[in-house]
Amino acid sequence: MKIRYLLIALGLAFVSTEALAEKLVIKGSDTLGAKLVPQLAEQFKSQNPGTTFDIAAEGSTTGLSAIIDGTAEIGMSSRRAKPSEMAAASSKGKNMKPIIVAYDGLGVIVNSSNPITGLTKKQVEQIFTGDVTDWSAVGGQGGKISIYTRNTSSGTYSDWKELAMKKRDYAKGSQKMAGHEQIAAEVGKNPNGVGYVGLAYMKAGGIKVVPIDGAMPSKASVLNKSWPYARPTFYYTNGEPGGLAKQFVDFTTGPAGQKIVDRVGFVPIR
Amino acid sequence: MLRKNFVLIAAAVSLVAGGLTARAQDAGALLDLLVKKRVITDQEAEEVRSELTKEVATTPAGKLKLSTPLTELEIYGDARVRYEIRNGNSGPPSTLVTNPNDAQQRNRHRYRLRLGLRGTLMDDWFFGLRLETSTSNRSTNVTFGDDAGPFGKTSDGAFIGQAYLGYKGIRDVTLTAGRIPNPFVTTPMIWDGDINPEGFSQQYKHTFNLSLGGGETVTEASGDGKNAVAAVISEPTNMTIDVFANFGQFVYDDNNPENPIGAPAVSGGRRVPENDAYMFGYQIGAKFNFTKTIYFQLAPTFYHYSGYGNDFNTFYNGGPNFRNTATPPVVVTPNQVGINSLAVFNMPAEFGFSIGELPVRLFSDFAVNLDAEDRALAAGRPDKDDQRYAYQLGVGFGRIRTKGNWAINAYYQHVEQFAVDPNLVDSDIFDSRVNMEGFAVQAGYALSDAVTFNVTYAFGEQADSTLGTGGVGDIGVNPLREYQIFQADLNFKF
Repeated sequence: MKIRYLLIALGLAFVSTEALAEKLVIKGSDTLGAKLVPQLAEQFKSQNPGTTFDIAAEGSTTGLSAIIDGTAEIGMSSRRAKPSEMAAASSKGKNMKPIIVAYDGLGVIVNSSNPITGLTKKQVEQIFTGDVTDWSAVGGQGGKISIYTRNTSSGTYSDWKELAMKKRDYAKGSQKMAGHEQIAAEVGKNPNGVGYVGLAYMKAGGIKVVPIDGAMPSKASVLNKSWPYARPTFYYTNGEPGGLAKQFVDFTTGPAGQKIVDRVGFVPIR
Repeated sequence: MLRKNFVLIAAAVSLVAGGLTARAQDAGALLDLLVKKRVITDQEAEEVRSELTKEVATTPAGKLKLSTPLTELEIYGDARVRYEIRNGNSGPPSTLVTNPNDAQQRNRHRYRLRLGLRGTLMDDWFFGLRLETSTSNRSTNVTFGDDAGPFGKTSDGAFIGQAYLGYKGIRDVTLTAGRIPNPFVTTPMIWDGDINPEGFSQQYKHTFNLSLGGGETVTEASGDGKNAVAAVISEPTNMTIDVFANFGQFVYDDNNPENPIGAPAVSGGRRVPENDAYMFGYQIGAKFNFTKTIYFQLAPTFYHYSGYGNDFNTFYNGGPNFRNTATPPVVVTPNQVGINSLAVFNMPAEFGFSIGELPVRLFSDFAVNLDAEDRALAAGRPDKDDQRYAYQLGVGFGRIRTKGNWAINAYYQHVEQFAVDPNLVDSDIFDSRVNMEGFAVQAGYALSDAVTFNVTYAFGEQADSTLGTGGVGDIGVNPLREYQIFQADLNFKF
C-alpha cells in the first residue's frame, strides 16, 4: 500500500513539474545560434522562470526544415527561405513567416601575418571561386590560398555565394567549417588562409579583417546598406507566432533583446 | 498593415503583368527601393517578399529549378504531319537496268518532331540541344506504319539532331563546336536543310551604318522672332551593310583505326582504310540593306575536302554502271557517294524588294566544281568533264510570319553530274540526286501564328541522258529519267 501511495505521489509531482515548465524548441542558423540566441534565452529565462530552451544551431537549412516539419517553434536563419522551401511548406500546410531579428555584415578575414592590405569585390569573387589560387595574384606574397567556408547547410554559405560570388560555385578544395568561430580559428592558424565571418566574430585572435574597395565593415555601413556583404537575419515561424514563441520573438525584437543583439556584435533592427 | 497590403497588391499586379519568375526580381528591387525611401520598413518588405516568393514557388514555373550558370533557357520545337507522293521513271543509259522504262512510286504518310533546348550561360557561353525523329542525316521524317505493327514504334525514336557549345565573348564573333546548325548562307542546291554538320564553325557579322546624304530641313523663325526652329522636310538616305564571314571545319567521316594492325589493305590503287575525311567551308559575304524592304545579299563560298574516311573511299561515278577503258572493257560497280575531286565554288544571291505591301525576292545560286575534270576522269567519263556547273533561279512572293500570311516560292534548278557533293543536296526536290534539272513550287499559308499549311510540287528530269543521276535517293532507280514529288504539310511551331 505504501508503495502505491509513493507511486501516485511521484506521478503527481511529475505531472505538476511538466505543467509548470514550458519548453521552446529553436533550431537553425549557427550565425544566430552560436552566441546570440543562447544569450537571449538566458536573459529570457531569468525573466520567465520555469522556461526551458532546446537550441540546436546546425545551419539555416535545418531551421527552415524544422518549421516545415513542425519540429521547432522557431527556425533561425541567416538567409531568406528559398522558393523550394516555401513550396514545401505550403504543401504541408505551413506558412513560413520571416521576422527580422538583427542585421549582420560579413567580412573577409585573413591570417594576421598576411601582408595583404585590401581587396576589391572582384578579387574576393576570384578568390572564393578559385579563379585565383595564389596570393601573389591579388597583391600578396606568394602562397597557395586556403579557403575556409561554412558548410552547405549554412545560410551564410549560400548568402556568400549570392553576395560575393555572383552565385558561382566555391573553389574546389575549399574547406567547410561548422561555424564562424571555426573559420576564424582555422584562418588564425593558417598564414595562407582566407574566410568570411559575421561582425560578431571579427575580433577573434590571429586574424584580421580585410578592407573591401577601401572600406571596412561597420555597424553603420551595414545599417545603411552601403556594405556589400550586409544581410538581415531571421526567425521563421509557422504563421503568426503564439504563446511562448511569441513572447520570445517579442523579447528578441524588443529593447532588451536588441540590447543583447548589439552587445553580441550584431546590428540592432531599431 | 494597410501599407504592406498595398505594396503586396502592387507587386502582385506586376507579377501577373509579366512572367512570374522574371518579375519576382523586379519586385525585389521595388521593395528595396521602397525601404530605402522609408516608405515601408525592412520587416514589411520581408513579409511582402516572402509572400511573393511563396506565390512564385507554387506556380508551375516556380517549381522548375535551373542551374546557377544558366542565364537564359528557351524550349522550342516544331512538328509536322505530311502526305507525300514521290514518283521516278527509269531512263537511259539502261543497258544494265533490269527493268528499263519502269517506274517506282512511293506514297507515304509521315511525321516529324524536333524538340530543342537552347540557352545562354554566364561569361558569354551558350549551348543548344535538339532531339529529332529519324536517324537519317537528311531527313527527320518517320513514315507511318513502316515498322512491325500495326502501330509499331521501331522507327519512332528520338535522336540527337543538334548538340553544341559556343562562345560569343568576342565582339561580332560566334564560335561553335559540336553537332551544329549549318553556319553557311546556302540553298537546297548545295545543302539539305535537315543536315547538322559535326565539327566547328567560326562566324563573324558586323553591321556598318552608312549615311548617303540627302534629307532636307528648313529653319523657321519662331513666333516671337527670336528663336530659330528646324523643320524636317525629308529624311536623309541611310543604308546598312551586314558584312559576314562563316567558316566551317567538319568531320565528314571518321576512319577508325587510322593505322590497323598489319599492313593496310589497298583497293583500287587506294589505301584502305584512308585518313579521316574532313570538309572545309569558307564564306565571306554581305547583305546590303538599301531601305527597310530593299536588300541584296551575296555570299561567295568555297568548299573542299581532305581525306576519304571509311565510307567515301571509292571514286564517285554516279551512274548505274560504267565500263572502264580496259580492253575488253570491264563493268565496274558504280559508286554514288564518293567525295574525290570536289573543290566547289558556290555563290548564293538574293535580291529583295516589295510591291506595295507584298514582299518579293529574287534568288539564285551558282556552283562550279573546280576539280570536275579529275572527278569525271575518275568516274570513267573524261568526255564529260564539262559537267561541272549547277545553278538555281527563283522568285518568291509573300512572307509567313503571322496568321493569315502566305508565301509562294518557285525556282528552276540545274545540277550537273560532277558539280556538287551529292551527299549533301536536298533530299526532296530531286530525290537527293545530281544530273537533274527541273522546277519546284512551294506555297504556304499560316492558319495561325504557330500553324502553317504548305504544299510542294517539283518536277525534274535527267539533265544529261548519257550519265546516271548520282546520289542515293528514296527512289530505287538510277538513272532517273523523270521525277515528281508532291508534299502536303501541316506544320506547327512551339
